[in-house]
Amino acid sequence: MGNERLVYVVDDDDSVRRSAAFMLRHAGFKVEQVESGVAFLKLAKGAERGCVLLDVRMPDMDGLQVQQQMIKDGIDMPVVILTGHGDVEIAVQAMRAGAINFLEKPYEKEALIAAMEEAFKRLENSDLKEMAASEAKVRLACLTGREQDVLDGLMAGYPNKTIAYDLGISPRTVEIYRANMMEKLRVRSLAEALRIGFAAEGLEGDTGPN
Amino acid sequence: MRETNTRDRKRRPYLESVLSRLPNCVMIVDRNLRTINCSVAGLNILGISSVAELPQGAPESFIASSHRSIFQEAMLRAFDADADKDVSPIEVQLELPDGRLMMAQCNLAPLANPKGEIDTILISFQDISALNAAENKLDQANSILKSILTTIPDAMVVIDEEGVISSFSATAEKMFGYEQRDVIGQKVEILMPEPYKTAHDGYMKRYFQTGEKRIIGIGRTVVACKKDDTTFPIQLEVGEAKIGDERYFTGFIIDLTEKKQREAELQSLQADLAHASRLSAVGTLASSLAHEINQPLTAIANYLSAARDMMDGDLAANREFFREALQESVSESLRAGTIVRRLREFVSRGEINRRVLSIAQVVEDATVLGMIGAQERGVEFSIDIAPDTNHVFVDRVQIQQVMVNLMRNAIEAMTDSASKKLHIAVTSIDDEHVEIAISDTGSGIDPELGDHIFDPFASTKGDGMGLGLSICRTIIEAHGGTIHAEPNPEGGTIFRITLEKTGQEQEDGE
Repeated sequence: MGNERLVYVVDDDDSVRRSAAFMLRHAGFKVEQVESGVAFLKLAKGAERGCVLLDVRMPDMDGLQVQQQMIKDGIDMPVVILTGHGDVEIAVQAMRAGAINFLEKPYEKEALIAAMEEAFKRLENSDLKEMAASEAKVRLACLTGREQDVLDGLMAGYPNKTIAYDLGISPRTVEIYRANMMEKLRVRSLAEALRIGFAAEGLEGDTGPN
Repeated sequence: MRETNTRDRKRRPYLESVLSRLPNCVMIVDRNLRTINCSVAGLNILGISSVAELPQGAPESFIASSHRSIFQEAMLRAFDADADKDVSPIEVQLELPDGRLMMAQCNLAPLANPKGEIDTILISFQDISALNAAENKLDQANSILKSILTTIPDAMVVIDEEGVISSFSATAEKMFGYEQRDVIGQKVEILMPEPYKTAHDGYMKRYFQTGEKRIIGIGRTVVACKKDDTTFPIQLEVGEAKIGDERYFTGFIIDLTEKKQREAELQSLQADLAHASRLSAVGTLASSLAHEINQPLTAIANYLSAARDMMDGDLAANREFFREALQESVSESLRAGTIVRRLREFVSRGEINRRVLSIAQVVEDATVLGMIGAQERGVEFSIDIAPDTNHVFVDRVQIQQVMVNLMRNAIEAMTDSASKKLHIAVTSIDDEHVEIAISDTGSGIDPELGDHIFDPFASTKGDGMGLGLSICRTIIEAHGGTIHAEPNPEGGTIFRITLEKTGQEQEDGE
């Protein structure tokens, strides 16, 4: 079954891991459950390539550390990060480290499937890789100064409130700029917007300045 | 004696022979208060051999001058009285010819002549000096007892072998609401509520039969009953005394009502303290709690969305998976419910009130609460506060909660230890930081857990919420301090807390 799409579900929490595996399996994916980041790194070398659904909060080695180690170990598998509610900063770091997308728990099945589809598109078509910095810069060129400021804030991992405070505007206004920014970039999720932003910075792989 | 004999032989031959044999000093005195006759014993006491040798004016002459009027009055009454009527005895002091002083009780018996006229008085002198001395001692003992009864702070009740109350101290009066006269002669059971009331006779009987002491010399906490029937806790110590053949039991009673109240207050204070810290931890725990609830919610969403989409396919073929998805969803809902139940302990956030306080004071205050009941559990406690430890800027209750929490943990961890030593050391680690080290000789912490012991819900105790240490860390970190655990070289664990020092000049009262 070489053409089956393999998902590594890496989560220390039994119920989340098993339920995600259950759902993905019934959505037509082949699933391998892994109980920790350490175990995943061990088996991933030389294992069948797939996409990784990686939980952030894990003992010993958290999701971000696993991501870093994957880069060092040359494990080239697209990663979708699972975060707790409100872990924006962590999500941003994951995106900066090259994650395809991030999902806040609990998530809708459709969102997860969409993220996985996107990850597999990347996996199956390695040429796509990251968006070129030049292309990203072209797309960001249409943003106003304020919209760019808001995106910068989001890329720094700040919540709306903090961005509002820093820019001396109200959080409500930040929301408006944020919506406009996403519309202009023609993205539906914050993750996509971040990806364009990071691509424009020309950064790939490392977390870069923080 | 011979001269007098000739004179009185006819009149009182019988009396004569009696007087010669009586062991007491007996004199016969006429209306002129002159001694007519005297018993041989009396002559011996006076140191003379015959009545003729009696000094002039006897017996009055050897009665102390201060007592002569008493004697004279008594004699007058005796001569006035009917021959068959006794005159009440008098006590007079004698000054014997040889200079000795003697207290004597005089019994006066008027003697009538054949015509029925009282012409002489028979006086017997009885030496009561010794008796008086004994009485004085008894009086003294009684007054000492009385003063003890009125002044001792503990209530004291004395009962005899029958359980009848013979003494009841002033404090006992106040404590029980009875007057002394209400209870003297009553059975001691009136001071007891049921079931002691009915059982008490049995207790005493058993003691007399077996000699087995269950309360005597031991003391215990029992319940007593006031006059108005209200009951109250007392500490009762019973002592036993034998006077002659009789046994007396003295009960010393301390009213424990206030002590129990204080204990209860202390307990509620402790509960408040624990509660306050739980409340204040809510804010910082929120993200941990949200995560804990998110996990099962995520699982439920996974299962149900999968199940929902199965309905579009061949339901019959997927029947077992469908059941599994629903069953798992139920389990996960219950898991979330459990976490919510835990969360209910943390309803709102408490006020934090940080002040500049002496670390020594804070620590010492905390040990009062932390050590309650520890001594009874055989815990040896020592505390060592370095003099240069100075002041910290902290919320007293929160730091105390941490201390109390760590101390209670330590005490609990030592339940099964042979050695139970709890030591607190407060030291300066540098110019800016002070360290509180709490070491125990308990079961220790699994080294694999490491600093995870401070994670919320990481309980290693069967009945724990797993929040205590996470609250401790929350509090200490909110104070800009650190907390960690390490193995105690003596066995057990040492928790080390560091806090920032503060200059005393910021002191704002207290």
